[in-house]
Amino acid sequence: MDEGTVLPVLVCFRLLLAVLPLPGQHILKHDHQINSPLTSYLRLKEGLWMLDNNVDPYMGGSFHHSPLLLSVFSTILPPIPIIWAVSDAVGAWALLRIWRARQGLSLHRATTSTAESLIVSAYILNPYLLFPSLALSTSTFENSFTLLTLMFASEGKPSSALLAIAFTINLSPYSILLLLPILMLLVTSPASQLASPRPFHGSINRIASLFGEFMLYWLVLVGAACIIADGSWSWMKASWGASLTLPDLTPNPGLWWYFFTEMFDHFRPFFLMVFSVHLVIYILPVCIKFQHDPLYAAFLLIGVLGTFKAYLTLADPGLFLSMISLFPEVHGYLRHPIVTTLLHLHAALLLPLQHILWVSEGRGNANFYYAASLVMGMAGGAGLVDACWAGMRIALGDVKVESEGKGQVARWEVARWEVAQE
Amino acid sequence: MNSAAFASSGLKDPRKINFERNWVRRAVLASYWVVIVLAFPFWWHLTSIERLALPTSQVRTQVQNNIVFPITVHFDGSFTHQNPSIVSQVHTLLRDSATSEHERWKGIDLRLRGADDEEAFDSYTVVLGERTSIAHSRQLRVSETDAQSAKRLSCLLSDLIANSESSISHSQRIVQYSDHYRLAFTLLHENATPRRFVETWDVQNALAEFVLPLLSKLSVLHNFTVESQVQYHAPLAFEPKRIFLGETEVSGLTQEDLTVFINSAEWTLSSSVSNDPVLHFVLFVPSETHAPLKIIDGEGRPTSQNSFLLPQWGGIFILNDELDSPSSHLSQDKLEPVFRNFAIQLAALLGVPPVPLGLSVGERPILSDWQLDALLRRRALQNVQGTQDTLYSIVKLVDQIDNMPVGQVVRDDILDALASLHEAYRAAATSPAIALRWSSKALSVASRAFFNPGMLALLYFPAEHKYAVYTPLFASISVPLVVALIREFMA
Amino acid sequence: MLRASVWISLAYLLTPSLSLENYKEDLRVQPLRDGRVSTAFSFVTVLDGVVPRNPTALEQPDESQHYALFPLTLGQILREYAITELHLTLNAGKWNYDDWGHPLEASVRTGAELWAWMGASEVTTVDERWSGLRNALSGLFCASLGSLDSRRTTSPVVAFPLSGSTPPFAQHELRHASLPSENVCTENLTPFLKLLPCKSRAGLAALLNPQKVFDADWHGMGVHVIWKEGTGVELKLTLQAVFNPARSSAGKRRDWSLQSLFDRSIERSCPVASSSSVSVVLPEEVNYQITPQIAHVEGSAIYDLSSSSNSTIPSNIAMHWPSEHSFQYPMPPLQPLTPLSVKRTLHGTTQTRGVLSVSITNNSPQEISAGYLEIIPALLTLWMHTLEVETNSEIRSDLLSDLKYQPPSRQPNGHLSPSMVQAVLTIPPKSTLKISVEVNKAFLKYTEHPPDAMRGWELPGAVFFPLPQSANNISSSYDWEMIYTPTLLVDLPTPDFSMPYNVIILSCTLMTLIFGSFFNLLTRKWVVVEIKE
Repeated sequence: MDEGTVLPVLVCFRLLLAVLPLPGQHILKHDHQINSPLTSYLRLKEGLWMLDNNVDPYMGGSFHHSPLLLSVFSTILPPIPIIWAVSDAVGAWALLRIWRARQGLSLHRATTSTAESLIVSAYILNPYLLFPSLALSTSTFENSFTLLTLMFASEGKPSSALLAIAFTINLSPYSILLLLPILMLLVTSPASQLASPRPFHGSINRIASLFGEFMLYWLVLVGAACIIADGSWSWMKASWGASLTLPDLTPNPGLWWYFFTEMFDHFRPFFLMVFSVHLVIYILPVCIKFQHDPLYAAFLLIGVLGTFKAYLTLADPGLFLSMISLFPEVHGYLRHPIVTTLLHLHAALLLPLQHILWVSEGRGNANFYYAASLVMGMAGGAGLVDACWAGMRIALGDVKVESEGKGQVARWEVARWEVAQE
Repeated sequence: MNSAAFASSGLKDPRKINFERNWVRRAVLASYWVVIVLAFPFWWHLTSIERLALPTSQVRTQVQNNIVFPITVHFDGSFTHQNPSIVSQVHTLLRDSATSEHERWKGIDLRLRGADDEEAFDSYTVVLGERTSIAHSRQLRVSETDAQSAKRLSCLLSDLIANSESSISHSQRIVQYSDHYRLAFTLLHENATPRRFVETWDVQNALAEFVLPLLSKLSVLHNFTVESQVQYHAPLAFEPKRIFLGETEVSGLTQEDLTVFINSAEWTLSSSVSNDPVLHFVLFVPSETHAPLKIIDGEGRPTSQNSFLLPQWGGIFILNDELDSPSSHLSQDKLEPVFRNFAIQLAALLGVPPVPLGLSVGERPILSDWQLDALLRRRALQNVQGTQDTLYSIVKLVDQIDNMPVGQVVRDDILDALASLHEAYRAAATSPAIALRWSSKALSVASRAFFNPGMLALLYFPAEHKYAVYTPLFASISVPLVVALIREFMA
Repeated sequence: MLRASVWISLAYLLTPSLSLENYKEDLRVQPLRDGRVSTAFSFVTVLDGVVPRNPTALEQPDESQHYALFPLTLGQILREYAITELHLTLNAGKWNYDDWGHPLEASVRTGAELWAWMGASEVTTVDERWSGLRNALSGLFCASLGSLDSRRTTSPVVAFPLSGSTPPFAQHELRHASLPSENVCTENLTPFLKLLPCKSRAGLAALLNPQKVFDADWHGMGVHVIWKEGTGVELKLTLQAVFNPARSSAGKRRDWSLQSLFDRSIERSCPVASSSSVSVVLPEEVNYQITPQIAHVEGSAIYDLSSSSNSTIPSNIAMHWPSEHSFQYPMPPLQPLTPLSVKRTLHGTTQTRGVLSVSITNNSPQEISAGYLEIIPALLTLWMHTLEVETNSEIRSDLLSDLKYQPPSRQPNGHLSPSMVQAVLTIPPKSTLKISVEVNKAFLKYTEHPPDAMRGWELPGAVFFPLPQSANNISSSYDWEMIYTPTLLVDLPTPDFSMPYNVIILSCTLMTLIFGSFFNLLTRKWVVVEIKE
C-alpha cells in the first residue's frame, strides 16, 4: 500500500471503532487495568451529573478529575467516543511530528516513510493505548497532551509548549516531572545527540524566563479551575491530593495500592511522602546525565512515570512503549528487549486473569493480583533500565569487527573488546 | 588501555564522553543526596509522635511544697486574768500533739495569741461563757471549769480545728471530692400492692426544710443537683431472718445483710450519664411479708435503729410505719425523721467533721463555721495532695514510656494545674474557701490531663516493628548510595 | 418552728393535689390472616406541664427533677443533653407488610435505629450532645449504640419530622443513625423493663417472658419521647411481637391464649396505672370463640385490668377455633394488606460492583405519591447518573421527581458520612415501579475491616413515607404509614490480612531493585575491557 496513506487509514479505523457499537465496551469501562479512579469515564459522567444537579462534585470522594475537564465536557463538548478517537489521532500525529523534528525532516511532508508508518501504528494500534481509549479513560487526553507538549517543544514553539504542559499538569500533576526536560528542549534542538554527547549549550537565563512564562500559564489555569469549582479550593485536595494521599484503594497494575492497603496507619503519611519523593528524585539525575538530548531525558522520565505512578493504568507504560519507536538508534544497543517484551506480555495476560479470579469468581485472593502487579512493575523496570543503558551505550560506538582475509567468505572474528560499567 | 588499542576496537574512549565527566557524575550523585537530605525533615515530621516538653522540674518542686493554713486562735483577756500561763500551757500541749500526730495536723500552722496581741481578722476567739459551746463567727465559749484545765482546752481546740476523724479510719466513708454532686432521693417499695403502697410523698417540702439549708451552707464547696424518684418494685436479693418477739414476728437484718442490702443487679437507681458522683438516699418500704423490718444486733435482738449508711454510696432509712390503705401519701411530718436522718448522713458522707462530744452548738444548728472551715481545709489539703500525686504520676509515666504522645492539651492542662496549685498556696494564707476553689480546679485539670485519651495512642508499638517497616526499603536503597559516595570521596 | 409547720401544712391542704404524672398501659392482640398473632404492648407515661431543657442554658445548673412514675435514669439523660424528641427502636426480624399490614408502631427497621431532635446551642454543639446521647443510651440499654458515629449519622428531615411540638427556644436539628447488624436479646429487654414503674412484677409487663418473646417471628422494642405543648413530655415504651401459634403448637392449630403465647399470666395489676387494658381485635370470620366473654366494642374485645376496676382480672384470655382441625394457610394470590409493597435487592456477582434495585408495587386503584429515602454507608458508591426508573418495561423518568442527593463527605475525624438519596415517587395504580442504580463497592484499608471481614456489611433498609399533606398533594384515600425494606448484606473484597510485612518487603525490594540499577547506570564509570583469549 502506498505509505502515505497509513495515517489516514489508521485514523479512519480508529474513528470506526469509536462509532460502531462494540460488544465489550461496558466491560472495558469497569476494568481496573485500564481505568483508575483518576481517569475513569464513569466518574467523569458522575461528576457531570452532580454538576447538573447542583451537588458539589468534589465533596463525595468519588470524583477526582480536574475542573477544566468538567467544564469542557459540560459546556463545549459532550463526552462521546469520537472525542477519544480524535485525541488518539492527534497523539499519533504529534508523535509523527516529533519524529520529523528529531530527524530534521520537513514537518509537512506529503508521503510517509516506513519508519513513520511504524511510528503511527505503534501509537494507534498499541493495545496498551487502544483499550484505555476504547474504555473512554481520560488517560488518552493526558497522553495526547504530553505528546503535543513534546511536539511543540521539539518544533521550537515555546508558548504553545508551555501552555500545553501547564494544561497537562492540571490534568495529572505527575507531568511536572517533564517540565525540566521540556524547558531544556526548548532552548536546544530535538535532533539526536545521543551518539555524540556534548555539554548543555542552552542559556540558563532563557530557561528561567520560560519557567516564568510557564508559571503564568499555570496560575491562569489554576485560577480558571477555581472559578469553575465555585471559588473553593476543595478540588485541589480531591484531584491533585488524590495522587499524594491515596484516598481510593481500588486495585490497579501499580505498586502503590496494595502497599498502602496493608500499611499501618502510623507510617502511612511517611511512606506516601517516600513514594512521591521517589518519583521526584529522578528528575535532576536524568536531566544532568542526558543534558545532550533532552527528548531522551523526557522519554526516560515518562518511563519512570509508567512504572512508579500512583494510580497506574496500562496507558502509562503504553506511552513509554510507543515512544521507543522514536529512537531507532538505540534499538541495537538494548540488552534484553526480549525479556522486557515477554515480561510485559506476561503481566498483560496475568493481570486481567487474576483480577477476575479475585473479584468476580471469588476463587483467588488479593495476593494473586498483587503478584501480577509485581510482574508489571518488573516489566516496566526492565524497559526503563534497558533504555537508559542503551541511551548511554550508543555514545561509545561499535566494536569493529575485523574480517581477516579478502576471501569470499568472511570469517567471524570474536570481538576482543567488551563495554561494561564499574 | 592505550589509545592504540582503543583505536583498533572502534570504540570511543569512555573518559572523553561528555556525560562521563567527573562533574556530571558528581552532580548526579549530589542531586540524589540533596533530595534525600531535603526529605529528612519530612520524615521526622511525619513519623514523630508529638511529645511536648513537660515542666518536669516544676512538678518535682511542687511535690515538695505543701499547702499551709495559718490559724490564729485568740484568747480573750478574761483568760489571762485568771491564769496567765494558760495560753502557753495550751500551746505546749498542742505542739506536742502536733508532733506526735503528724497526719492530723498536716497543713495547719497554729498560732495562739493572748489578750495583748492584736486581734487579727478572721481568727478564732476563745472567750469565757456560761457553758462550753460554739457560738457564731468562730467563737468558742468556755465555761469556768473548763477554762482552768489546759488539757481540756487543748483537747477542744484540737478537735475543733484538726478533727481526728478526718484521718485514715474514717476516710473510707467520705466520698471523693467533686465539684458537683447529684443527690438522688428514692422512695423504694419492696413490693407495692394495692393494699400497701405509697403513691406520693412530700419530698420537695421535706427537702426544702431539712436538706436544702445544709446544701446552701455547703455551696461554697460543692454544687448539688437534687433529684427524686419513686420505685414500686425493688426486691431484696436475700431473705431476712425471722425473729419472734413474743407474739409478733419481725424480719431482721444482720450486719452482713446490711452490706448486701443494695441489690444493684435489680435496682437501677441512677444512670451514669455524667461523671459526677451520685449520693443515693433511699427510703425503703418493706413488703407486707417483711414488715416490720428491723436491724438486729450481734445477739439477734432488734435495735431501735432504722437507718444505716453505706460508705461512699449513700444512706438508707427503713420505713416501718403503718401505711393506711389504699393509696397512701407520706406527709411532711412522717418524713421529718427520715429527712433529718438523711441530712446527717449527707453531712457525714461529705466529710463534715462532727462537733466534739460535750459541746453544744449555739444558734445555727446546721453547720458551724468551725466545722465548715475544718472541712474546707481538709478538702483543700486532699485536693492538693491528689493533684501533686497525679502530676508526679504523669511525669513519671511520660518519662518511662518513650512512645507515649504528649499533646498540646495535656501540656496546657499540666501548666494550668501547676498555676492553680500555686494560687491555692497563696490563697491559703487569706481565705480557705478560695484556696479550696483553686485546689479543686487544680485537681480536675490534673485528672483531665492524666485521663486524656490521646495519651494512649502508641503505648504498645514496639520498636522492632518500626525497624521491620523501615529496613526493606531504606537499608537496601542506602547501599548503592553510600557506596557511590564513598567511592567518590576515595577517588 | 411550730408556726412554720402549721403554715406549711395549711399551704399543702389548700393547694389542690395536681396529678402531674400519669401512666397507662395497653396490650393489643390481633390474629393475622396467616395464622400468626401480633401483640403490641404500649406503656405511656406523661409528665404534665414539663418543658424540655433549653440547650442554651446548659451551663447553668438544671432545676431539680422529682419523678414518681417517670424513670429517673432516662430523665437524667434527656435533661443532660437537652433532648426534645427521642426515638430508639431495637428490632429483629423482617416485618411482612403484605400479610400483616401496618404495625401499630411504624418504626420496624431491623436492628437499632436512633433519631433525636435537639435544639442548637453554642454551649455544646448538637454533634457533641448526639455523641453523649448515644453513649449514655448504649450504657442504659446494653446495646452497641456507641458505634452509631459519623459513619452512620445523617439528617433526613423530611422523612423523620418532629412528631410533637417545636419548643420556641432554639432552632432544632435532627440526627438519625441506624445499625442494621445489632442483635436484640434479653440484655436489652431487662433494662427496658426497668424503666416501667411496675417493672415486670405487676401489670401487663409481667407477661413479657424473654424466652417466648425472643422466639417470636418478629419482635421489637421502642422508646419514644415526645413533647406536646398542651400535654407535656410523653414517654412511650412499646414492645411488639408477632407469634406463630401454628408453628409451636402440636396440632398446627392457630388457637392462642396469653398463657400459650407468653407462658405467663397476669397475676396482679399495677397499682399506679391509671388505665390498664387488653384489647383483642376480633377477626372478621365468625367461627372463633373468645374467653372470657365480654361485650364487643367496634370490632375489638377490651378487657380492663386496672386495679380500680370492679371486675376481677381475667387470668387468661384465649381465642380458639373449635371447628378447625388444623390451620389451613390461605392460598396465594392474596391481596396485600398495605397499598404499597416494596422489595429491594442488590444484583451482581462480582465483588466490585452491583446494581441496587428497588421495586414498589401499588396495590390500590389510585395513584400514590411516596417519599423515598435511602441512606447508604460510604462503602458503596452510587453512580447516580445511572439511576433509571422504569415501569411496565418502559423508562419513565417523570415518575421520580424532587431528587436530592447528598454524597459522602469527609468528617473531621477522617471518616466518610453516608450518602443520602431522597426523592418523590409517583406510582401509577396497580403497577410496579422499578428503580435501579449501579453501585461500586469500596476497597477498604486493612485496618478498616472488622474482625469477621468475610461476613460482609449490612446496608440499612430504605424508607418509603407518605408525604406531608400540602395543598397540591392528592391525598390518597388509602392511609398508609412508613414502610421499611429489609436490610441487605454487601460483601466487600478483602485484602489478605496476614500480609503486611510481606507486602512491605516485596514491594520495597522491587522498587529498590529498579532504583538501584538505575542509580548504578547513572553513576558508574564506563570502561572498555579487553577480553584476553
